[in-house]
Amino acid sequence: MTLARTAALAAPVLLLLASEVQAQPVQLARLYQGRREAEQSERISRKVRVGRDGRVSVSNVSGDITVSTIGGDEVSIDAVKHGTRSAFDRVTVVIDDRPGRVDISTEYSRIGRWGNTNVSVDYTIGVPEGASVDLKSVSGTVRVSAVKGSVRLQSISGNVVTAGAPRVEFAKTVSGNLELNGVSFDGDLSVAVISGTLRANGLKARSLDINSVSGDVLLRNAACERVSARTISGSFEYAGTLARNGRYDVASHSGDVRFALGDGTGFELSAGSFSGSVRSDYAGTLDIGRGRGRGRGPNRGPGQTVQATIGDGSARLELHTFSGNIVIDKR
Amino acid sequence: MITSHPDGVTLNDYVDDGLTAAARADVRDHLASCAECQTVVDGLRGVQSAASRLPLLQPRREAWPRIERSLRASVPARRPVPWAAWLAVAASLLVAVALGFQIASRRAQPASSTADADTDATAQSIEAELRQAEEHYQKAISGLEQIKNDGKGSLDPQTAATLEKNLSVVDQAISESRAALKVQPTSEPAQASLLESFKAKISLLQDTVALINEMRQGPALTQKGS
Repeated sequence: MTLARTAALAAPVLLLLASEVQAQPVQLARLYQGRREAEQSERISRKVRVGRDGRVSVSNVSGDITVSTIGGDEVSIDAVKHGTRSAFDRVTVVIDDRPGRVDISTEYSRIGRWGNTNVSVDYTIGVPEGASVDLKSVSGTVRVSAVKGSVRLQSISGNVVTAGAPRVEFAKTVSGNLELNGVSFDGDLSVAVISGTLRANGLKARSLDINSVSGDVLLRNAACERVSARTISGSFEYAGTLARNGRYDVASHSGDVRFALGDGTGFELSAGSFSGSVRSDYAGTLDIGRGRGRGRGPNRGPGQTVQATIGDGSARLELHTFSGNIVIDKR
Repeated sequence: MITSHPDGVTLNDYVDDGLTAAARADVRDHLASCAECQTVVDGLRGVQSAASRLPLLQPRREAWPRIERSLRASVPARRPVPWAAWLAVAASLLVAVALGFQIASRRAQPASSTADADTDATAQSIEAELRQAEEHYQKAISGLEQIKNDGKGSLDPQTAATLEKNLSVVDQAISESRAALKVQPTSEPAQASLLESFKAKISLLQDTVALINEMRQGPALTQKGS
């Protein structure tokens, strides 16, 4: 058979294949993946007695961690490992139990840390209601519900969500979102987001420390005694009540700062924006300096500063932005 | 039990009492048999102790080269983890934060009927201290950036991109604050924003370096060791 004849015979077949490639790229990709690697999964289940106020830590790389409460004094561990066959055995779930605590971790051996293994582990953990938990995940979502002991949570690229866990002491995520529901305790909470949004509903704490770069911070029904918050471009909103003698110190570079206050607690206000505006619902309280700031020497910017005393002035609000706006509303 | 040396972040956390009880016990066990790490911990405690007395410090710019030389001389060069860089960063931060406190306390002094000459002198003094603080923040930032750049391949591309993007956001804030200070050198909001932006950048770089160390070491080890 000549080369020309072969080409002529093959052309329609090639054209047909090309049209199939265009029409069904997903199927072809699946076919390719299917040829490359087979997937498998494995379930690991175990129960460990830690006591009613035991400590549980979980460290995961890829996959979700979900923690809820069960009765009794045992921790129920359910780990589902799934991924490609070739790397499957190189990923192990390690359960290290000692009196009063259990440390659970996903360990990887002889493979790269990032992206070059398609094995992940999803953990579903049941803990005694009074247990303390410390959870870390690199790329999974971390969820905790109903745990009454202290809670510390961290995820790099996943979301962090709590519900009905009153004693969250630390929560952090780099690119995920952070959602806290029902945190209520007489203790200190430190929260950090970098680009994700922090949403908290019903947050009550003695002190709240927040750091964000570009993520927004939205606190609803909040009642904290002391708040220290820093953002660069993220906005900050506190809707709730102030504590008598409370202190609220918020600074943002370009984000807006808003307080929506629902009770009659008096406060002293010091608010300033270099190039933004300051607005308040509290009539007759504003001593506004437009475009003069509080700096010494010449200061002719377009911004505003406000010094005011509302009611008995028992709480203290220090609110500053460089180019954002500041609003103090009545709810 | 820690089989290799704990990284700088872990030792920092140990000194700051930021480790879990188990991790703390692991580090303590390691320190009992490792004079090298114990020396680093002693050094960090020294920094911590000095930091607790920040408002009283009167840092001198000319002291920096001597500190740097003594750090270089006292820290072994063969360790893979850049202790000298960490301590240099810590020392720069110490000075920068001290200057920040000094600026804040000067600004907090109530405005009075002081003569214009005194007011101008105070303003000039604040500006000079701000420049000095900026210089030390920049030194700390450079140290952290070097550590970050050396190890950024350890981060997954998505996380690295997020961190870089947010570092750009902070850089933008620094640029805007600087531009404002050129026009209004005594603007308190601009001064405050510049210092806060520097702190944010330091914090973000520290987070980045901590993640790099964590990824190099492995989360499972970190869980036990941090």
